[in-house]
Amino acid sequence: MSAAAAPNSAQQSKSTPSDFLRTIRGRPVTVRLTTGVDYRGVLVQIDGYMNVALEGCEEWNGTQLKAKYGDAFLRGNNVLYISATSGAK
Amino acid sequence: MAAVAPPTQAPGSSKANASQILPSELIDRCVGSPIWVIMKSQTELTGTLRGFDVYVNMVLDDVTEFERLADGQVRTNKMEQILLNGNNIAALVPGGKPDA
Amino acid sequence: MSGAQVGDASASAGAGSAGDVDATVKEPLDLIRLSLDERVFVKLRGERELRGKLHAYDQHLNMVLGDVEESVTTVETDEETFEEIIKTKKREIPFLFVRGDGVVLVAPPLRST
Repeated sequence: MSAAAAPNSAQQSKSTPSDFLRTIRGRPVTVRLTTGVDYRGVLVQIDGYMNVALEGCEEWNGTQLKAKYGDAFLRGNNVLYISATSGAK
Repeated sequence: MAAVAPPTQAPGSSKANASQILPSELIDRCVGSPIWVIMKSQTELTGTLRGFDVYVNMVLDDVTEFERLADGQVRTNKMEQILLNGNNIAALVPGGKPDA
Repeated sequence: MSGAQVGDASASAGAGSAGDVDATVKEPLDLIRLSLDERVFVKLRGERELRGKLHAYDQHLNMVLGDVEESVTTVETDEETFEEIIKTKKREIPFLFVRGDGVVLVAPPLRST
């Protein structure tokens, strides 16, 4: 509305969900499902439904490693969030 | 005929109702600021809102997740950046969590 | 599939030209396309797991599986000792249609082992 309403805080660039999807391909991620189970791996592909393909996928229940899969497809409706895990694994 | 035709513009929608704010406008005002997200399950998250879309999927930075476990304990988990699925969101509180 | 999508991200990337099997993964479902006629592991809601040969699938993750081993895991609490008893029931099913909305994870066979 008014230009005066612009916040004076240091604004980082705005990043919409589709911007995020474009930036995280090929990066290590943690995918948390609504069931509470985590899947960690390198994000090969993701689509707008949040369907995810992971490479070198590990299934974690809390701090317990439950299973390993070479590749894995996760159905988007079960996804709670996708976290860009920084640093080496 | 004329009675059935929808009005081209809702009365007062042009500028009169300044007190009314659309939910999406409220979220838009939170971009760049801390926000507190309460999920349908026993999980809450706080972080800085970076962006969102029409489904209220959200990109959050500097996230803390609070997970209430079955035994009543709260497990916290910090993350740099996440894409949160809008499907499981119950409520949003602009400004972040008071005691976080 | 679930109604909500992320913004304007293209959900259905072009399938490419017909003919040879395209070995690239352009969208997540391509991972499943590359597993056709191979044995896959499918995790379903309710602690159900399937292992079988993938004959067909669609965009909802509805699947047709052959020579399936289903395993259902249940956790029961002993009423006297409060011990958790984990039971896994297994059965063989020659031919199975899986409704996509129950699917959580699909893993192709391990290629490099």
